[in-house]
Amino acid sequence: MSEAAAKFTEDRQRLELAALSAPAVIFTVAMIAFPVVYTVWLGLHSFSSTGKQSFVGLANYSRLLADTEFWHGLWVTIALYVLSLVLQLVFGVWLALVLFHAKRLPGIVRSLFISPFMMPPVVAGMMWLVILDPSLGAANYILQSLGLPPSEWLASPVWVIPTVALIDTWQWTPYVALIVLGGLQSLPPSVYEAAQIDGASAFKTFQRITLPLLLPTIVTATILRSVDLLRFFDIIYITTQGGPGNASNTLNIYGFRVGFEFFNIGYASALMLTLTAIVFGAVLAFNRLRGAVAW
Amino acid sequence: MTDAPITDAWIRRLNLLQLVVAGIIVLTPTLWMVLSSLKPSFEVTAYPPTLMFAPTLENYAQLAETTPFLSYAINSLIVTIGSTALGLLFGIPAAFAVSWTRISWPAILTLAARMAPGTLFLLPWYVMFRQVGMIGSYTALILSHAVITLPIVIWVLLPSFDGIPRSVFEAAQVDGCSVTRILWRIALPLVASGVAVASILAFVFSWNYFLFALVLSNGDSKTLIAAAFNFIGEGSTQWGALMAAATLIALPPLILAALVQRWLVSGLTLGAVKG
Repeated sequence: MSEAAAKFTEDRQRLELAALSAPAVIFTVAMIAFPVVYTVWLGLHSFSSTGKQSFVGLANYSRLLADTEFWHGLWVTIALYVLSLVLQLVFGVWLALVLFHAKRLPGIVRSLFISPFMMPPVVAGMMWLVILDPSLGAANYILQSLGLPPSEWLASPVWVIPTVALIDTWQWTPYVALIVLGGLQSLPPSVYEAAQIDGASAFKTFQRITLPLLLPTIVTATILRSVDLLRFFDIIYITTQGGPGNASNTLNIYGFRVGFEFFNIGYASALMLTLTAIVFGAVLAFNRLRGAVAW
Repeated sequence: MTDAPITDAWIRRLNLLQLVVAGIIVLTPTLWMVLSSLKPSFEVTAYPPTLMFAPTLENYAQLAETTPFLSYAINSLIVTIGSTALGLLFGIPAAFAVSWTRISWPAILTLAARMAPGTLFLLPWYVMFRQVGMIGSYTALILSHAVITLPIVIWVLLPSFDGIPRSVFEAAQVDGCSVTRILWRIALPLVASGVAVASILAFVFSWNYFLFALVLSNGDSKTLIAAAFNFIGEGSTQWGALMAAATLIALPPLILAALVQRWLVSGLTLGAVKG
């Protein structure tokens, strides 16, 4: 093949490869990049009830800083995030160890453990709404039979965040467990053998060897859960819509309601851009951490 | 060392016990939902709750009679299948090109779209779709849900394409095959199982997605998930029908997930973990 012909083939190939990814890229730019730029523009404007817009600069953002509902939403978001994440990581690692030591997992058992996070979060919210009903729910019946006082669960301003965290933990702990299980299965068995020869106890082996080696996997699980938890929406919207009062009004719920219930598109845009910055900030921070704990 | 087998047996028993406890916690709420959906209406709100009852399908019948459940389900199917097909159509060639060129920004771009809160896009979409009168159209719903399916398809297929030895492609190139032809004729059949997993995951997550349909669908195009909210409003005293609706909505993703459970983990972590 002559040099010119080879170059022609190479150019043609590059063109073909670009054409192959073009539909996905064009779609994403049209559906995401352009709308996000539009959101930035919306966030700099105010809209009257007649739909007339006026440029207001950063007024939506200074309003945000003075908005107690925003700070409350941020607090709710972070409280729910930290509580859910800690519960899911602790129970997830425990469940992963249990599954790991069970060795052979029949497909039916695996199907059972993926069932919570494969069902719609909306359905999880619906079923727990019935279970946790303050007057007729099964949860309070169990509490009472154990001699414990019943709880208002989702209807209590104090307990609503822990309760929502519990529902989400029920749904997503098996997901964390399966990720950690993948990490466990990829650990070299030689490490354990060395620890056994040294006479290390099971707990010591876990604390000194398994856990440090698992850290990258745990950080991966943390990143994947953080993305979902910081923009918590479905379960809350189905069960409490941010209530009682505003006790479970996360930033995502608040932004949604400002936009689609009060139709304050400009301010909602400023809220959502702020939340997006928080999500991406967390992902980048944990991604760095993952680099630091890699082995 | 004589007592070692005994300790081993005990450790195994203790582990099995923990596995059973975990299984019960995972399964009970779902089981309770299904049981409640089969209870006669006077028993579903009985207190203390009953475990023994004569199962009935009256809640399901009531759901079919008093709500347009079937047309919601058809809407859900149209949106889910449409967005899965669109995700595959755009995602398969993109994943192949990214795997071939090692230029990964198109894949990362779609992933970033998946990480941002949906409300961020929903605001401009709402404004734009309203201007062109597309609120409530299948097109708007399918396009919005393809934002969910596209990154799933790309990231599930990337490791599959990466797994094909380069020599296979080189041999085909020597024979004069174009890149596009290599994708459809040689690479795609080799990653068929990956495509199956990607399709099912895309289907499940599109089916389960709540937020977009909540705003972009209307009376005629309402999906099951968006309609779930109405069932709660109507069902404050009708738990049986509510749980029947919840059971039916959860059924398709659960069945599909059970089919591919073995391959799910690596797919779900978008390649972050090799399961």
